[in-house]
Amino acid sequence: MADPASLRAAFAAALAACRTPNDVKQVRDQFLSRKHGSVTALVKGIASATPDERRTLGAAANALKQEIEQALDARESELAASAPIAGAVDITLPGRVPAIGRRHPLTQVRERIEDIFASMGYTILEGPELEDDWHNFEALNMPPEHPARDMQDTLYLAAPVGTADPRRPATLLRTHTSGMQIRYMESHTPPVRIIAPGRVYRRDNSDATHTPMFTQVEGLVVDEGISLGDLKGTLNGFAERLFDAKVKTRFRPSFFPYTEPSAELDVECQGCGGKGCGLCKHTGWIEVLGCGMVHPAVFESVGYDPEKYTGFAFGMGIERLALRRYGIEDIRMFYENDLRFLEQLAP
Amino acid sequence: MKLPVSWLKEFAAVPADVATVAAKFAGCGFAVDAIDGDVLDLDVTANRPDCLSVLGLAREAATAFDLALNDPADAGANTGAAGGAPIKVSLADAGCGRYALAVADVKIGPAPAWIADRLIAAGVRPINNVVDITNYVMLELGQPMHAFDAARLAGPEIHVRRARAGEKLTTLDGVERALDETMLVIADRDRAVALAGVMGGATSEVSGGTTRIALESAWFRPQTVRATSRKLGLKTEASARFERGADISLPVRALRRALTLLQESGAGTASGGVTDVYPRPAEVKRVPLRRARIARLLGQAVPDADVERLLPRLGFGLTATAAGWDVTVPSFRVDVAREADLIEEVGRHWGLDRIPATFPELRTMPGLPDAGVTDGRLVRRLLCGAGVQEAVTFTFMEAGWAAPFAPADQIVPIANPLSEKFAVLRPSLLPGLIDSVAYSRRRESADVRLFEVGAVFAPAAEGQHVGWALVGSRGAHWSESAGDLGFPDTRGLAELVASAFGVAVEFSPDDRLTWLVNGRRARVSSGGLTLGWVGQSAVQRGVPDGDVIWAGELDLLALQTLRGATTRAIVALPRFPSIVRDLSIVVEDRLPAADVRATIRANAPSTLVSVREFDRYQGKGVADGHVSLSMRLTFRDAERTLTDADVQPAVDAIVAALARAHGAVLRGKN
Repeated sequence: MADPASLRAAFAAALAACRTPNDVKQVRDQFLSRKHGSVTALVKGIASATPDERRTLGAAANALKQEIEQALDARESELAASAPIAGAVDITLPGRVPAIGRRHPLTQVRERIEDIFASMGYTILEGPELEDDWHNFEALNMPPEHPARDMQDTLYLAAPVGTADPRRPATLLRTHTSGMQIRYMESHTPPVRIIAPGRVYRRDNSDATHTPMFTQVEGLVVDEGISLGDLKGTLNGFAERLFDAKVKTRFRPSFFPYTEPSAELDVECQGCGGKGCGLCKHTGWIEVLGCGMVHPAVFESVGYDPEKYTGFAFGMGIERLALRRYGIEDIRMFYENDLRFLEQLAP
Repeated sequence: MKLPVSWLKEFAAVPADVATVAAKFAGCGFAVDAIDGDVLDLDVTANRPDCLSVLGLAREAATAFDLALNDPADAGANTGAAGGAPIKVSLADAGCGRYALAVADVKIGPAPAWIADRLIAAGVRPINNVVDITNYVMLELGQPMHAFDAARLAGPEIHVRRARAGEKLTTLDGVERALDETMLVIADRDRAVALAGVMGGATSEVSGGTTRIALESAWFRPQTVRATSRKLGLKTEASARFERGADISLPVRALRRALTLLQESGAGTASGGVTDVYPRPAEVKRVPLRRARIARLLGQAVPDADVERLLPRLGFGLTATAAGWDVTVPSFRVDVAREADLIEEVGRHWGLDRIPATFPELRTMPGLPDAGVTDGRLVRRLLCGAGVQEAVTFTFMEAGWAAPFAPADQIVPIANPLSEKFAVLRPSLLPGLIDSVAYSRRRESADVRLFEVGAVFAPAAEGQHVGWALVGSRGAHWSESAGDLGFPDTRGLAELVASAFGVAVEFSPDDRLTWLVNGRRARVSSGGLTLGWVGQSAVQRGVPDGDVIWAGELDLLALQTLRGATTRAIVALPRFPSIVRDLSIVVEDRLPAADVRATIRANAPSTLVSVREFDRYQGKGVADGHVSLSMRLTFRDAERTLTDADVQPAVDAIVAALARAHGAVLRGKN
């Protein structure tokens, strides 16, 4: 007959080998079965022991029996807890993310600008990319031979292209969106509050900061009593929303043939907080847009009375703003459409 | 314009600190491109030719710092002898408003160091004392001048006239130039010796052996100089000043300044006096300025005292009137013609930063965005949601790359392209998209799906399209094998976009779609109006061989037109359940599924509400040249619940009709 110590050792080995609930059941049988369990046999054998031995042996046998029962119960629930669940899935595998595209960075910046101005009551317009001389230059106070035409080296069409107005076929690729000021005023009376985004063209070679095609947003407000103060308030508000912060701005006097007075809006460089860095060419300021009060000659060319009406206009290049927003340095990246770049954008 | 601050100080006692001076210039409209020691590189806008001079910039600095301008005007004038220069001048063309001339006997040599040093600082290369002095005066006062070797002038005579047809002139840069009658020249008795206001001629160039010079100081009409300069592609310091507008009161003063410098530097002395041909002296411009208008345009009243301090500093003359002032405009301010120009001057120097920011009142209801704007947004979101990435490509391309996509007479060429790469406007969005697909495919992107919304061009009009190009698989995922993209993918995008406009589209073969693979191309139309096309591109340029490009393009303006005619109301929801029957039939594989669908519809009762293909199978169990098509037919009655007994005769009739029309056999019953 086995003694309690050797039974305990045998049980420990058998328990360690248990891998399934069935293993546990077999071990339970082997040690505790009423008919042939080895611990049961030990208890039965107590009767044949001497009275002296009986007391100690009885206690040891009972302790062992309890110990084995507890260990088996514990092992059983342990195994039950780790048993596979019917229909369970591996939740660590990658999900099926629907394949989506992203709007182009120039579209994202453009729409943001549109939304800001729409919130200020501006109507958003689109116009033709092919223009005639009147809308692109002459009506904007740039008569033929005007030196300011040199500021915008123009691409001309080899032959005129048809437009909605048969008297004015298109002869050139618009050099700016400012022609939309004329188009809108020709067909509307004040008050005017519009922006016109779109592609524009210059006879420029490509480099890190220039491309022969780029994107502008034009703005125009005309009413009685519109002032340069209104221009400042509007564009300061715009800059705040565009840059998500109370940014410091400054208006620098400048020159455009179709505004008088003319100015450029700079915002304090976000990269260095105005101290000067590579991003702002060490000036502490970043040029955002050109603006000014509508030149009376422009009003005259569309039949508005410049004594009665005043207005302001502004124009900005989207690429330059997008360069800052995405922290990239070469404008040509916008036209390569490299998926590795585009897929980094927010949806 | 490169401005040495030490030179500036001769005219205005600005502070010593160069950065302070630079900041003031920036504040009144002269952007500082660079600061190099004592030299400021200032961006002078095209309207301010007067500031292409130290004197002009000094006037700005003096106003900005509120300093007196030390303008010596005619100080040191060497009027020379009375009776003009000993060379006859004739002027018979409106292209020249004033022509002043002096003659001097000279000894050619190097200029004094102080002159040469200033020229170098201002970015002008010293040549010899005579040429350097003319350049010095141009930089100081803004008047371009030219010195001729008087001994090489035939006559000696000077004629200001138009060039003659076929006349030639070799300019100082050694280039022989063919002239025409639109160009103004300076000529001697026999021939042209200079291109007026642009560049002198080589034969009369001042050289080491020159002993007598004729000094020209003139005013040429901006348009004339500009046209000549552009036509010849010749831009000079002189032409830059004349074409923007030189000061017509300056020629004689500048000539005297040059003669003084010649004499003081020992380079020469005047011979005779100054000839000044000025047939129609310019009138002084007068512009009224109303104080109320200043307040209205700037949004802020400016005290009279400030107006009366700032404008005179800039050279304007002020006479008080009831409403404000009567202002005389100095001859060098060619940019000032009306009240707004004066208000800009006040604002510029009074300080734009002092004008309070306000917000304009909204008096009427704002308008809605253009349909083009909203539709652009709609289409972009739709295609992004469908897994296609937006691209933006150049609108122009080389002629050869546009050729596959439109007949030659439908392509719009650019007259003056910068390079052959940008010679024509795109007739379609596809070539640009193919280039972009190629770009990403060569950079490890396996599945590339791009779209663009943008203008396309034809001689009749500019259009607005959406186009797409798809390459690769539908997207790999561990849960299933990735299928390759196919015709249904591009066709599906066309259906999706059209559905957003409420437009139902048809697809039909069209042999004019030559840039697409025959048998894998379709015209997209609606009610007879062509909307675009879909198919497999037959051109691959740069996209790896073996890639299949599925593409499509739709006319957004046409879709907008069709939407105008469509109303969208929700159809009442069915009240009774439907009965579904699936039919699998075997037909010849050349038979379009659309024909099968049409036969079913033509032979079905009105209770058939939909027919939809749900499988197409070829292979084991289907004879060669045949295909098994599975169609799901849904029947429903608006008034009652249908039974099998209602539907079975209809299905039998359809099967019989399919057998008659197409020889269709029910699968499994063969």
